[in-house]
Amino acid sequence: MKNSTVFAFGLAAALATTGPAFADKLDDIIASGTLRCAVVLDFPPMGARDENNNAIGFDVDYCNDLAAALGVTAEIVETPFPERIPALMSGRVDVGVASTSDTLERAKTVGMSIPYFAFEMAVTANEQSGIKSFEDMKGKTVGATAGTFEAIALEKQVKEWGEGEFRPYQTQADVFLALSQGQIDATVSTSTVAQSNVKSGKFSGISVVGKAPFDIDYVALFANREEYGLLNYLNLFVNQQVRTGRYAELYEKWVGGELPDLTISGVYR
Amino acid sequence: MFNTALTWNDLLFLAQGAGMTLAVTGLSVAAGTVLGVIFGVMRFQLGPYWFAPLTFLLDIFRSVPLLIQLVLGNALQSIMRLGWPPFTTSCVVLSLYTAAYCTEIVRGGISAVPPNTRRAGRSLGLTWSQDMRYIVTPLAVRVSLPAWIGLTLGVMKDSALVLWLGLIELLRASQILVTRLQEPLFILLICGAFYFIISFPVARFGGYLEKRWSPND
Amino acid sequence: MFNYTFHWNQAFKALPQMLDGAVVTLQIALLSMAIGLACAIALTLFRLSGNRILGGFATAWVEVARNTPALFQIYMAHFGLGNFGIHLSPYVALLAGIAFNNAGYLAENFRGALKAIPDTQTRSARSLGMTSMQAFGYIVLPQMLRIAFLPATNQMIWAILMTSLGVTVGMNTDLAGVTQALNAVSFRTFEFFALAAVIYYVIAKIVTLAARLFAARMFRY
Repeated sequence: MKNSTVFAFGLAAALATTGPAFADKLDDIIASGTLRCAVVLDFPPMGARDENNNAIGFDVDYCNDLAAALGVTAEIVETPFPERIPALMSGRVDVGVASTSDTLERAKTVGMSIPYFAFEMAVTANEQSGIKSFEDMKGKTVGATAGTFEAIALEKQVKEWGEGEFRPYQTQADVFLALSQGQIDATVSTSTVAQSNVKSGKFSGISVVGKAPFDIDYVALFANREEYGLLNYLNLFVNQQVRTGRYAELYEKWVGGELPDLTISGVYR
Repeated sequence: MFNTALTWNDLLFLAQGAGMTLAVTGLSVAAGTVLGVIFGVMRFQLGPYWFAPLTFLLDIFRSVPLLIQLVLGNALQSIMRLGWPPFTTSCVVLSLYTAAYCTEIVRGGISAVPPNTRRAGRSLGLTWSQDMRYIVTPLAVRVSLPAWIGLTLGVMKDSALVLWLGLIELLRASQILVTRLQEPLFILLICGAFYFIISFPVARFGGYLEKRWSPND
Repeated sequence: MFNYTFHWNQAFKALPQMLDGAVVTLQIALLSMAIGLACAIALTLFRLSGNRILGGFATAWVEVARNTPALFQIYMAHFGLGNFGIHLSPYVALLAGIAFNNAGYLAENFRGALKAIPDTQTRSARSLGMTSMQAFGYIVLPQMLRIAFLPATNQMIWAILMTSLGVTVGMNTDLAGVTQALNAVSFRTFEFFALAAVIYYVIAKIVTLAARLFAARMFRY
């Protein structure tokens, strides 16, 4: 009885010392042969589903590139916006490639890479509302996807105006559904999403009417806060994507138009 | 309204969603019922005072919205690094939720068995387990079954909430199709019809049993 | 086991906001209960009326309310009706959805309660010269409400729990909406939702207690 306890202890100690010293997440990913990415799939053109309900989009390609760089296969894990962080924390995904704005508030909980994409904000309005610019939204009912950068900014703006109403919806799809039904008069969303939804022709009676004067929304890849090895790798990977022109290529494929600059002048990261 | 872009493929997608709803419900109700029976018998045997801590615990599952429970369960498993997929998390939370209600149903069923009948059984030399098996179970099941069927259907409908964790069940599947096809009313009606078709016959069957087995007929 | 530090102070800082949300939650639950009760009495009358159209309408309402998820009903009230150009704000859509659900379940409770009231009572009331409305209003209804009171209390608790579904239609002022908004900003899911759970629990317990006291006062013999 006693002997076996001693033996077990000895075995455990031996295993602990002979095992790989401090295998971090980066090692784990390479060893397991798969990279699991959290991607939001109702956020075209970043993440969407094709006719056969397969995952496609900028973020999906970006994850595939990252997996290729690591020499592993990618696994896309669909996460709704609210589920991104729990999925990461529980170790169900390794990194998030989910158009996540790198706010300071969030950086208290997860680790953010350098920006891999930047969104400009556009106002999309229901044509019957008569909204022609950002200022016209004053006093109207507006909405956005709950918890996103633009939703937080818009809600603040509505409070500042002191009239009108702000409604957060849980998915981008619901926002545009509400907009096309006239439940809300206008929305502020990333210009990519706005263009893609208007161009899709699925929503009648809506159009992009202008830019919203919000700060540029830089979005980052994210991983666990303490995984410096992985975060370093992600930073370099983002840098390489831009350097090799792959970023421009993907941008042209999914969005098109003028390539957003990912640097901020006057400050280091 | 009926000239729709909905294809057979999409209907199949909806049916898969319904399958997910049924799978989550089936597993959760099965596990929840087992737990509920164990807790219910314990509750009856131990009496309200000794069982009070568990009563309190189970009461929480009946007094907090399921949505909050699911989010909390998911956050908790993520903090504890259990790495459960949403399906497991959903089933665990729904099982506990089911167990909380089932405990009450089982307790009610057992208390409905007249004590004199049980005493008579025991004085004829039946052991406790024989008494439970041959006297309490048949009588208690009759009392509890309609309520249990109601509970099962309740869990089936409440399972729509697991979409919050990213499981593609019936309602989420229809939302995805709404996003793609932009025919909200038509697709939502189909979705509602799916639920109704699953739920209604079972509900009617429960009502029939209740009538048939009602003690005062 | 844990590789997570709880930031409870963040959650406690938001407590006043969440309590404001709790007031809205309670308000919606009470309103939906009042509307649901009125509709349920009407539905019960429809069913008793013997009119096939009214009876069919009542039965359809009750069966749909009881056999589809509440989440579906609320989603339908917002986006389904929106398709016809009927625009309900999230508050109204949530209220309508829950009231619809409440009415269905309460009407079914009333039906059960009615069975417990002997037919002879109505008949003797009628033979004393009451109209059928009077007989229902003075004889049947009070007893029905008394028998159905306990199940109705449960329905009230359900209504409170159902308000949390409003987040799916853009509701951001009730307890769940406020909590979700706080969570989206900071990603501190566990802390905020745990606090919300405690608040929901307390509300549910207070309502249960209030209902018991009310019943003890009202239904003494």
